[in-house]
Amino acid sequence: MVAARWHQFRDSGFYHDFSRDKTAIISFFILCLYVVVCFSAPLVAPFDPYDPTVIDIMDSEIPPAWLERGDPRFLLGTDAQGRDLFSTILYGTRISMTIGVCAVLLQAFLGISLGMIAGYVGGSLDNFLMRIADIQLSFSTLMVAIIFLAVFQALFGTELYERLAIVMLILVIGIAEWPQYARTVRASVLAEKKKEYVDAVRVIGLRPHRIMFRHILPNTLSPILVISTVQVANAIVSEAALSFLGLGMPVTKPSLGSLINSGFEFIFSGSWWITIVPGVVLVILVLVMNLLGDFLRDVLNPKLYKN
Amino acid sequence: MPGGVPCEVRCRHRDPQRDRSCATAPVRIQRRHSIVSLLEVKNLEVRFAMRRQELIALRDVSFKVEKGERLGIVGESGAGKSVAAFSILNLISKPGYISSGEIFFGGKDLTKLTAREMSQIRGNQISMVFQDPMMTLNPVLTIGTQMTEALHAHQDISREEAKQRAIETLARVHIPSPATRFDQYPHELSGGMRQRVVIAIALITKPPLIIADEPTTALDVTIQAEIMELMMELCESSGVGLILITHDLGVISQMTERAIVMYAGRIVEEGDTRDIINHAYHPYTHGLMDALPQKTKPGRRLNQIKGVMPALSSIPDGCAFNPRCPLVIDLCRTTLPQFTVFGSTRVACHRAAARTD
Amino acid sequence: MFAFFVRRLIQATLVMLVISVIAFSIQDNLGDPLREMVGQSVSEAERQALREEMGLNDPFIVQYWRFLQKALRGDLGTSYFFKRPAVDVILDKLPATLELVFGASLIIILLSVPIGVFAAIYPKHWFSKFAMGVSIVGISIPVFLTAILSIYIFSVELNWLPSFGRGETVEIFGGWTTGFLTRDGLVHLILPCIALSSIMLPLFIRLIRAEMLEVLESEYVKFAWAKGLSPKRVWFVHALKNTLLPVITVGGVQIGTLIAYTILTETVFQWPGMGFLFLEAVNRVDTPLIIAYLIVVGLIFVITNTIVDLVYGLVNPTVKLARPQGGD
Repeated sequence: MVAARWHQFRDSGFYHDFSRDKTAIISFFILCLYVVVCFSAPLVAPFDPYDPTVIDIMDSEIPPAWLERGDPRFLLGTDAQGRDLFSTILYGTRISMTIGVCAVLLQAFLGISLGMIAGYVGGSLDNFLMRIADIQLSFSTLMVAIIFLAVFQALFGTELYERLAIVMLILVIGIAEWPQYARTVRASVLAEKKKEYVDAVRVIGLRPHRIMFRHILPNTLSPILVISTVQVANAIVSEAALSFLGLGMPVTKPSLGSLINSGFEFIFSGSWWITIVPGVVLVILVLVMNLLGDFLRDVLNPKLYKN
Repeated sequence: MPGGVPCEVRCRHRDPQRDRSCATAPVRIQRRHSIVSLLEVKNLEVRFAMRRQELIALRDVSFKVEKGERLGIVGESGAGKSVAAFSILNLISKPGYISSGEIFFGGKDLTKLTAREMSQIRGNQISMVFQDPMMTLNPVLTIGTQMTEALHAHQDISREEAKQRAIETLARVHIPSPATRFDQYPHELSGGMRQRVVIAIALITKPPLIIADEPTTALDVTIQAEIMELMMELCESSGVGLILITHDLGVISQMTERAIVMYAGRIVEEGDTRDIINHAYHPYTHGLMDALPQKTKPGRRLNQIKGVMPALSSIPDGCAFNPRCPLVIDLCRTTLPQFTVFGSTRVACHRAAARTD
Repeated sequence: MFAFFVRRLIQATLVMLVISVIAFSIQDNLGDPLREMVGQSVSEAERQALREEMGLNDPFIVQYWRFLQKALRGDLGTSYFFKRPAVDVILDKLPATLELVFGASLIIILLSVPIGVFAAIYPKHWFSKFAMGVSIVGISIPVFLTAILSIYIFSVELNWLPSFGRGETVEIFGGWTTGFLTRDGLVHLILPCIALSSIMLPLFIRLIRAEMLEVLESEYVKFAWAKGLSPKRVWFVHALKNTLLPVITVGGVQIGTLIAYTILTETVFQWPGMGFLFLEAVNRVDTPLIIAYLIVVGLIFVITNTIVDLVYGLVNPTVKLARPQGGD
């Protein structure tokens, strides 16, 4: 069964295009590397950045190992608190990716459900939902997130906020971007609804939710796949921006954004690596996801919803 | 370019001595007498460079159009008739290109022209009418702009004069209150009106040849007849040559003097329309004829040709029509048929002789 | 045209009302005006009396109505930190932010249109491939990181350009401080403007290219070629206008994002604008200032969106602005 599926996949045009696109192959493997290394961070990382007992303030601001004054114990150097940058980045990337993926799952769940309902039911409910989607899209995610998180932080104090940061970030980024999915799914549903097979299954007497999930949803998967890749990249960037502003992950449990933030002031004193190294890690992660998104868009070529 | 006025028109209204090519013959009967055809396509081959392979969309296509002649090209969708039409003006969509062959027009081989020389032919010597008038006109430009720009591109003409010409041409295609339409946008007009505008744009430079690519397919049935009638009237009154692409043999029989039947990128039959309609040789042409609603008794199913046209990537050996042909013999599956001439027609079929009786 | 304008105005008012409700509920929950007015020594009974007197015990809707009336007069309270009317504090910083946005928009518009159009017309040209490659990298670098990197390269390492502040400014039209008229001010604008435009520019290049490619494939462009028009006319009269229509809409949507990016850019460059002020206000829990920022930004957002919609309506003939007498 699995073998048959694999053969079917290997013979498909998708695999053919993928195996010919060097950029896509390299991007895919880098992404896999990120996922594997970061989610096995406790095994790979030489230090536990969350354990204060292994951190020595005397080790602070050591440059990467290949520079002079570097220390072979710390491959990428240390930050201002003496934490091993390599370990901290591994854990930080894991947090960034978790937030990005969870936020997009939430977006997809909200967006697909609302988009399907809007497209399938139509009428004034459709109008209402799409109007909300329009308005929400025109307020940028980042703007809404900054204001919301800023007010939340001011309201409940920094301490509680730091404990809830992951959940808050996922919720805010997840809720703010649902219209992306809703519009695409709605457009696909409208297109599919016109086709004969939907009429056919309706005539058989299948119930609406069955028609939507068993028959229409599979046909909207390729545009969803394309948006998802780009949306995860966007969510990671949004999280990084919020953390950079001090509205995201705390320094004690840093994501890539908070790492960049904590290192920023040190570029003036020459300790560039504290901010630049996590910055490069972030850019490569986002870049390979955007490249994969471009590749998927070209190959699957779904008519994405446009205004 | 000064020669914006077609020679036929000049011949009628002006001194025939001024234009050499006009001196040969009057408009209607010159086909069998003229020395140089208006358009001559020789051994045209068009390929599409796809991602994984090259597809040949047009093979060994040759035909002529005489001055003032109306030629029909007929075939199912995918037969290559539109590709043939667009390749004349080198307007094939992107992966497509002319891989070999010659297209003579006005003493020049159009396939060898530079982009600049080509744009002096387009719209000036040869105009086109596209399929869907809803898509052909630019939504953000006024009717007037889209008409006069064709004049300005080819003639040294003042804005006032151009506007006058545009309004006159709109009147010629029977558009009511043409002066008002001049300032309107396409979305303010119905589909039939828009196709009239497109025809007016094609006519405004008074070209000797117009290529119309299924000009009525996208329109309502009642309007289809009106547009066809209009085109017929305009061609007859000004002696413009016409290449009419359609999948409808009925339209061909009403509109054209000569017809070409295409199948899977090749010409399979060519001849006087009257002869093709009355006495077709190729089984495919027969199939098309039998499929006409007029040929079927009311209440019975249309006599469609069995099977579908092969995709460009999987054209069978021998005669491309052999899998669907009722008269197929072994030879058809191995050998490409050459043209045989019967009176006015030439036909590429091993079994054509079987039809002569 | 008039009806369109009125409809747009009503919509804008509605959005502003929603923003004001949000702003007011923030104020209601965040700020205890008493804390700022009286010290700890005041007894609970006295506090209650004061609350009653100030109307703080009135129902939400009554308090909101009062808030709205004051807001319409331009009174959004007094900043706790600056001890000045919050609106005045914000408006002092407005020129800095607007000039930053103006500079970045100039970069975006002047570069994205020609590059995007070129990349669509000559997709195989080396420059197009180069521009598209740079664009995808540009999109992948967050604004604050571009800002940090540019500071590190041009200020710290090369020492060519200043890394923070507006530099020397002059006052024009009574109160508007500008950095565009002094050399120092312009030099200070370079890095922040580049950083602010660093994501939008590649985004628009890609968008314009994609739209233009689609338009170039359209039937009406093919028909324009068939008319024998010059390439210039086909590209710039037939294709470009149709390309830019959707781009205008997207531009309107991106205004919100651009404002959000000013917060990031201003933070990195310590640019004395509204975004920087807003973050400071958040850290100080300076509620009136937070509210004032929300309202002012909301206004800017609504006004620019209305302008974008009007421009779109004027440019696109299929939007019924002034032609109630339709076609046939």
